[in-house]
This record gives sequence, structure tokens and C-alpha cells, in this order.
Amino acid sequence: MLEVQGLSLHYDRHVALDNVSLKVGKGETVVILGANGAGKSSLLKGIAGLVRPAAGSRIRFNGIPIETASPHHVLETGIALIPEGRGVFGDLTVSENLALGAYARRARDERETSFELVFGLFPRLAERRRQFVNTMSGGEQQMVAIGRALMSRPELLMLDEPSLGLAPVVVHELFRSLDLVRQSGLSLLIVEQNVRLSLEIADRGYLADAGRITGQGTASVLLDDPAVKRAFLGAAV
Amino acid sequence: MLVTAILSGLVLGGTYALLAMGLTLQYGIARIMNLAYGELIIVAAFLAYTLFATLGLSPVWTLFIAIPAGFALGWGIYGVLMQPLVRRARTPAGLEIDSILATFGLLFVIQGLLLVSFGANFTSYSYLNVAVDVFGTKLAANRLIALALAVVLGGAIYFALTRTLWGTALRAVSVSPVSASLVGIDVDRAARTAFALGGALAAAGGVVISMYQTFTATSGVVFTMKALIIVIMGGVGNILGALSAGLVLGLAETLVATYVDPGLTLATTYGLFIAILLWRPTGLFGRAAR
Repeated sequence: MLEVQGLSLHYDRHVALDNVSLKVGKGETVVILGANGAGKSSLLKGIAGLVRPAAGSRIRFNGIPIETASPHHVLETGIALIPEGRGVFGDLTVSENLALGAYARRARDERETSFELVFGLFPRLAERRRQFVNTMSGGEQQMVAIGRALMSRPELLMLDEPSLGLAPVVVHELFRSLDLVRQSGLSLLIVEQNVRLSLEIADRGYLADAGRITGQGTASVLLDDPAVKRAFLGAAV
Repeated sequence: MLVTAILSGLVLGGTYALLAMGLTLQYGIARIMNLAYGELIIVAAFLAYTLFATLGLSPVWTLFIAIPAGFALGWGIYGVLMQPLVRRARTPAGLEIDSILATFGLLFVIQGLLLVSFGANFTSYSYLNVAVDVFGTKLAANRLIALALAVVLGGAIYFALTRTLWGTALRAVSVSPVSASLVGIDVDRAARTAFALGGALAAAGGVVISMYQTFTATSGVVFTMKALIIVIMGGVGNILGALSAGLVLGLAETLVATYVDPGLTLATTYGLFIAILLWRPTGLFGRAAR
């Protein structure tokens, strides 16, 4: 479904991504693991159209080339990104945020069913639909972010560090919700620092380091990989 | 006398609110500080004057020409002058500085053209200058119409921005352009639309002002300054803030002019401005600092 081939990305002279290739299949959940500065966020931004990839990069979604598309065009093909820091509209209400999620042409007609779907997944949002988002807790804001992304009826949902800044209890709740989203048939591409939790809901994973993909495997293999354990899971424990 | 002062204050305040809403759309959504904003107001005022003086056309009808023309002019100015700046701007602050310089130049170009065409004299025309009884006091009919127009136009824009998905999308761009692009909003187009809407509001405001005030080819700067002060007092990008701060300023100016001294209106404006900023640095309805 998503095919990234030879993706390179520079910020001026700083190379953020160097010849990265990866695939996400239909209904598949894929995590990208790597230290800070490995280029994980740049990868998601490059796919979403927020940053223009270098010449020669190829990104295809359902066969459609999107490497030079603007963010709103990428969204119309069925890819939604929840950026690091969530990117919700703090000065707007919950229902305004969600309504904007269905701004895309592909999602407008199904707006009402999408609302029901999101409120079914996060009943708390239904109770607080008139509340301004910047008055909500981090976990609730993350629900708004996920809900808003689902409103655009994506086929692939990309999340950049969704657990960042959340309390451990809330993180578990978040991953339970993501698991439900995954079971509904969506593909997920997740960049996450909580390696164990993300590998538990994932099918496959990639290892990223200094702008390159250095390894890949199924989630269960990666969970048992000594190198992964040493680097991310704290092998001493 | 109090009722008269309050009514005149509402007329002035309503006009200010209309003008400030346009500027806050341009500044808050398109992120362009348009110093030539007042010139657009004066162009519309001269348009109303010319059509009234030559064809006897009522300024209310002129609105139907001025509003679309203001929109088209804003759309055009954005495309020709602003888009190149937006494309090359690396940071929002960079765009702000570039746009201030570019529109500062535009200000003098438009002002020069106005001076050549109309000269530097005070201009006014007498439209419906008859007294009407309101709440036991007399007010010129043109002022009443100006107030009604400000309420209708301001209300329509406010409704469109807060109650429709289209308007919510524009406000989303003002909150966060990056997030807006991620929900599928074409941010560049939204910015251009907001800039053009600002132009339409400036034109509407200019026509309304010409109905009851004297103006000159060079008085645009005063309106830009006042609109800017109102925008900052109300909180940048905040429509409700612009509305209420505009009304407050109009009322304050008129009350001071009536009861203290007309020479103190400008001092009142700035005094109020400083007081509000000391009390609430992000404006009456501004966002909390983050």
C-alpha cells in the first residue's frame, strides 16, 4: 500500500534521511525504532508532504506517486499524520477540531458516521465536545488528535511519538485505543520511543539510525533481538 | 446629551470594528501586516464619493461594487505582491518584516495615485444628512445607516467565521498553519482568501466612513493605526476581540470628545491601548502566552 523507495531528505546541508526504503501493507502496523535524531520524524513529515524530499526519492501510496504532493493532497489520498506534539487546534473546541478532521473532500460525505465512530472509540470526547482543547489533559488532547485524524477516513494513520509527555497509565490507555484502531482494518505507521508497547501491537518494525534504515524484522523477532534489547529495552533488566 | 454621545460612539465603534475585523483576518490568518490597509479604505471612500457626485449613486449601492472590488483587489495584491514573499519566507517573523516593508511601499504608491487624482483637500458629500429621532435625541440618518451596515456586515462575517466549516478552517489556519495543512486545508489558498476578505471589509468600511466623515487622500494612515490598535487590543486573529475592542474605542473617543475635549481623542486612543496592554498583554481576548 505505502511504498517508500530511496527517500532522501535534507534541511539545507544537514542530511536527515539518506536513501530510506520501506513498505507498509494493507492493514499492517509498522513501527520505526531509533534514537533521537535518527530521522524518524523527518520520514513521516516527508511522506505527509510537510517537507519536500530530495530529487530521486519515490513515495507511492496505492500506486499514486506523492513525493511532490502538498500535505492537503497527501491527506486526500488517504494518509493522515498525527505530528509530534499532537498538532491539535488548542483555541478551537473538540467538535470544531473533529469537524475540521472531516474537511478533506474524501471525508465530507461520511462526516456524521465518522463522528459516531470517533465518539464510540472515545466516549469522553462526546461528553466534552464544546470544551476548548487547550483546557484538556494531555491524554484527552491525544484522543482529539487521533479522533481528528480518523475523521478524515484514512487508510494509513501515521503517528509521531504519540506517547510523548503522557503519564504511564495514559500511555497504556492510548495503546489500547490504537489497538482498536488497528483492528478496524487501518494501517498504522508509528514512530515511538516506547519500544515494548509499540512492538506489542505491531506486525513489523524497522530500525533507524542516523538517517538510514539499519535493520528490520517482524515484531516478535525484534522483541527478542539482543541488539534491540540492548539499544532500546534496557537489557540489564 | 449622553444618549447622543453613546449613539455616535456606537456608530464610530461599529465602523472601527468593521475595519479591525478586516485587518485581523489579514494579520491573523494570512500573517501579513498590511500597512497599506488604510489606503484601501480611502480608495473605497473616494469611490463612493465619485459615484455619488457624478451619478448620484447612493453609497449603499456602492457597497455592492466596493465589496467585490475590494475582494478582487486583495486577491490580486496577494497573488502579485505577497505570494513571492510567502514562498521565500523561512519563518513567520521573516514574512512579517518582508510584508511590512512591501506594504509600506504600496501605501505610498496608492496614496500618490489618490493625491494625483483627487488632490489633498478634505472631501465629503452630503448623503441623507437629515436628523432622525432616536430614543428622544436626534441623530443624522446617514450615521444610523452606517451603524446598521456595520452591524449587518460585521455580523455576517462573524457568523461565517464561527458557524461554518469554511470559517472554522480559516480560523484553524490562524491557530496553526501546519496542523491546518494536515487536516487537508490548502493553507496558501486560505491565506489568500483571508487577505481578500480583509480587502472586502476595508472597502466596505471605507464606503461606510465616507457616509458621515470627512476624509483626505492621506488619512489612510490614521485608519491603519486605529485598526492595528484595535486588533492588538482584541488579540491578533480574534474576531470577537476586534468587534468588542472596536466598539470600546469608538465609545471612548466619542465620550471624551463630548465631555472633555475633542483634541484629546487621539490621546484617549493610545491611553486606552496602553492601559489594556498593561492589564492583558495578549489583548482582551488574546491567547495565553505559550
